[in-house]
Amino acid sequence: MLFWIVAAALTFGACLLLLAPLARGNANAADAQAHEIEVYKDQLLEIERDMARGLISASEAELARAEIGRKIIRLSDAQQTAGSTAPSRPLARWIGAAAILSLPLVSWGLYAATGSPFYPGQPLQARLERDPSQAFVDELIARAEAHLAANPNDARGWDVLAPIYLRLGRYSEAATAFANASRLDEPTAARLAGEGEALTAAANGQVTADALARFEAALALQPDDLPSRYFVALASDQAGNGEEAGRMWQEMREGLPQGSPWHGVIAAAMDGEDAAASGDDQAAMIENMVASLAARLEANPHDVDGWQQLIRSYMVLERPQDAQSALDRGRAAMGPASPEGGHLAAYGLSLGLEVEQ
Amino acid sequence: MIVEIGHFALVLAFALSLVLSVAPLVGARMGDARLMGLAEPAALSILALVALSFAALTVAYVQSDFSVANVWENSHSAKPMLYKITGVWGNHEGSMLLWVLILAAFAALVALFGGNLPATLRANVLAVQGMIAAAFLLFVLASSNPFERINPPPIEGQDLNPILQDIGLAIHPPLLYLGYVGFSICFSFAVAALIEGRIDAAWARWVRPWTLAAWAALTGGIAMGSYWAYYELGWGGYWFWDPVENASFLPWLSGTALLHSAIVMEKRSALKIWTVLLAILTFSLSLLGTFLVRSGVLTSVHAFATDPTRGIFILMILIAFIGGSLALFALRASSLTAGGVFHPISREGGLVLNNLFLTTAAATVLVGTLWPLIVESVSGEKISVGAPFFNMTFGPLILPLLLAVPFGPLLAWKRGDLYAASQRLFVAFGLSLAIALATFFIVDRVSVLAALGIAVAFWLVFGALTDLALKAGIGKVSPSVALRRFIGLPRSVFGTSLAHAGLGLTTLGIVAVSALEVERMAVMHPGDAMEVAGYELRFDGMFPFEGPNFTEEQGRFTYLDRSGRERGEIVSSKRFYPARQMPTTEAGIASRGFSQLYVALGDRAPDGGIVVRAWWKPQVLFIWIGCVVMMLGGAISLLDRRLRVGAPAARRARPARPFVEPAE
Amino acid sequence: MAMTRKQKRLAVIGGALAFLAVATTLTLFALGQKASYFYTPADVAEKGVAAGERIRLGGLVATGSIARGEGTDVSFAVTDQIETVTVSYAGILPDLFREEQGVIAEGTFDASGRFVADTVLARHDENYMPREVADSMKARGIWQDEE
Repeated sequence: MLFWIVAAALTFGACLLLLAPLARGNANAADAQAHEIEVYKDQLLEIERDMARGLISASEAELARAEIGRKIIRLSDAQQTAGSTAPSRPLARWIGAAAILSLPLVSWGLYAATGSPFYPGQPLQARLERDPSQAFVDELIARAEAHLAANPNDARGWDVLAPIYLRLGRYSEAATAFANASRLDEPTAARLAGEGEALTAAANGQVTADALARFEAALALQPDDLPSRYFVALASDQAGNGEEAGRMWQEMREGLPQGSPWHGVIAAAMDGEDAAASGDDQAAMIENMVASLAARLEANPHDVDGWQQLIRSYMVLERPQDAQSALDRGRAAMGPASPEGGHLAAYGLSLGLEVEQ
Repeated sequence: MIVEIGHFALVLAFALSLVLSVAPLVGARMGDARLMGLAEPAALSILALVALSFAALTVAYVQSDFSVANVWENSHSAKPMLYKITGVWGNHEGSMLLWVLILAAFAALVALFGGNLPATLRANVLAVQGMIAAAFLLFVLASSNPFERINPPPIEGQDLNPILQDIGLAIHPPLLYLGYVGFSICFSFAVAALIEGRIDAAWARWVRPWTLAAWAALTGGIAMGSYWAYYELGWGGYWFWDPVENASFLPWLSGTALLHSAIVMEKRSALKIWTVLLAILTFSLSLLGTFLVRSGVLTSVHAFATDPTRGIFILMILIAFIGGSLALFALRASSLTAGGVFHPISREGGLVLNNLFLTTAAATVLVGTLWPLIVESVSGEKISVGAPFFNMTFGPLILPLLLAVPFGPLLAWKRGDLYAASQRLFVAFGLSLAIALATFFIVDRVSVLAALGIAVAFWLVFGALTDLALKAGIGKVSPSVALRRFIGLPRSVFGTSLAHAGLGLTTLGIVAVSALEVERMAVMHPGDAMEVAGYELRFDGMFPFEGPNFTEEQGRFTYLDRSGRERGEIVSSKRFYPARQMPTTEAGIASRGFSQLYVALGDRAPDGGIVVRAWWKPQVLFIWIGCVVMMLGGAISLLDRRLRVGAPAARRARPARPFVEPAE
Repeated sequence: MAMTRKQKRLAVIGGALAFLAVATTLTLFALGQKASYFYTPADVAEKGVAAGERIRLGGLVATGSIARGEGTDVSFAVTDQIETVTVSYAGILPDLFREEQGVIAEGTFDASGRFVADTVLARHDENYMPREVADSMKARGIWQDEE
């Protein structure tokens, strides 16, 4: 509202300022030649000064004075057009009125086409001070990052941030965060395994030598660390030692308690192994997982993280149309104007998807 | 909300500039004082609105409002506050807004202080200024709008290009733009004179202060840019004959010519048509400079992200204004009364010589700058014209001018006496020669050319001082009288002398650095030392350092003089800005008098050492000190009361016939 | 020997024209001597460049080609993905000199066919690609605008 008041006041003020000279009478302007004479008079004075200073001789000064005098006389003789300005004609009045009228028309018309009058400013400080429960994940991260920028030696902070990065797919930052926590405090199995997992994810699922070293270090600290054991087995599998990997997973499965989520993970891994890690099957498995996620979201659409995961999955599978449609459905489900909808829109934009306003 | 108000203010300013470009023009044509009267409030309102708009953008930068695309692209919440503010004009959109702001400010100055101008001339000048403002406001709104928004806003910005995060950037573009845009007033005056079909001595006197102000600002802007490149790019160079640098140098050359030809026009009523043409050309070259910088049509070391579509827009503005004004010139120039002829050996003759040399030099630089474009469009081959070309052409062309400069102010108007002037300059000549010989035999026996170059530099300085001494009558009259006369000299005499002496100082710096510079390069390990021009540079090691939005590795050096005494520390560093993933080099500089020891770090060598490049830059500071002195000369001239034309008699009871003062 | 007014004017105009003629000649001569042509490595292979002719060589810095030699010597390969030319250079490389990034090296081929650069230009801005490099690589379909 305030914006409209200010905009209207500016427009009105500008019109009023232009109106003032139009309302005034049509005074006669001084003629132009008077100005020229003024310059010549000044030049005469300067000759006096130069002569007084001894820069020019008296005869030179006399010559110069005579020349300027001739110029002045020539000017005065040239009879100027008398009464240089005519009384205001009606046409001028119409032009003046049109000029003033054009101000609101041009400005409001052009602004309507280009401006975003309903979009308030978003100063960073104010955004960060808002109630955290209202904030999006990325604002929470920004808060944590700001905290860590001020206190870079806070290992706890890195512990909090690292798994969030990992979940959001910011793998290299996750790896750095885990490494920072290890460096500042001490390497624990969880930190090492997390770093290894981030490195693996950053390498598109390949357990790199670096990652393997982290997992092995984690197991040295804590021999029964499940994620590390799983990835060490995966590394053997990727290195072509399918049998050894199978044996390790089997061993791991036997030690698992009832209901552990690792059952499913290992089963899937071993299925993949049984099918000779055929790429088709692996892809089929991913497709299945994505399909089930999509189905779950159809049933229960109010899940920002779910939508985000689905969109990302489609992008990873190189199905941008599906990603686009998931984005559209997600935003529709959240309400495009809601904070969550805006959040999805931002996420979509960051992946290069389109967001309809 | 403030952002949108800024946006709206800009749109409203555009609407006003349309009114300003039409109504006063029509008013002047119809002789209607009311329509002409629209010009002043319109010009002042445009300034107020553009200033509001600029303030709004600044607030968005200060508050890190990343819902503004421009802020998001060029700022970062961790950036130091100073660079948040300078970042406003550290990017294309913001710098164009600054351009328009300065344009509006100049128009407002004419509106405020143009009370002594004839009404029609003032209306026409402001209308032309309004046209320029309208064109550039449209450009900003249509193709480089700094107020575009992002919804939802990103949480962190992309930061400003680190090499632009520098105090030099805070000063360089505003000064440069003051110069570029200042010439728009001269252009507007020239076009207005063509529209009216009359031009007189008063016109030249009105144009001169604007030319002086623009010229002084441009001098400062170029000098600042050169110093910035010198210490920020880490190459040790101060001028690269790069297209972007040439783009700022061209209006300087023609502006300098304009400055001098306007004097002839005012004093002798000659060179009228030429002066009008120069005023048009100078601003045209400013526009060309803006175009070259913003379009990226020429490969430049200064090229930042550029956008060809914007280039086409500016090219169209360029064609419209240059083409339009030159067409008007062709149509109307014959109606301007031509001036008288004069003796070649006279003050005005000297000033014509100055114009001949300056415009020829400018034409050479222009050809060299545009040659790659011409060749490419004709034959498709890509070529580059670099420093070797300009050194070969510009130097020889400008040298005779430098030699002639001290004569100019000593010659009388109308008919000068070259022989007498030479006699008066005898002392200056002898002193310069003595210094050249001293340089050759005492300082360095390497180069005769260097000694001669230094002689030229001192010739300019002593020549300027001679002029002052003669005008004050030193040696002719008693010291007390001379002192009184010296103090009583018109300010513009001091201005001339300072500007000419400044030119000499800059020449001195350039010659000294070009001829006597010492460069050393080596791989150094901590504890190593190398000899640079008599100083021993000891490398103490690399130390990490954490800046607000960067990390750096500082290479610390100690330099010792011949006797082995420690003289000070030099810190040169390699910085890394994580937001842009960009490394920069910060040169380490130590000043010894007017000379500098300059140290830049290179890459790490495989054996752990670091490549170090060090220069001894003798008298290098004179390059910029000279520019500052020139600028000061311009400023002092500007203060000369005589440049302000008195308001004519119209305010008093108007005599039937114009008042003629008898020649006493 | 007093000249008439007309003669004087002619002398002045003649002098000015002579000066302009000198300036023009000098400019054209310098353009012929000092302008350097832009080549990509493929151009070099196609057209050939005489030893000692000053050129600007543009392309991308080939991956893994940067090798430090003795002291401040460094060599790297400039490639346009068709041909590759090895450049040797003594000095400090620009800050933004990186593998797979645009670069312009200015210098000459020596008698043994090695390209010796005295100036190496990289960009100032991470979005910047030297225009000649971008154009010639676009023409060959190797590089595309990101937008």
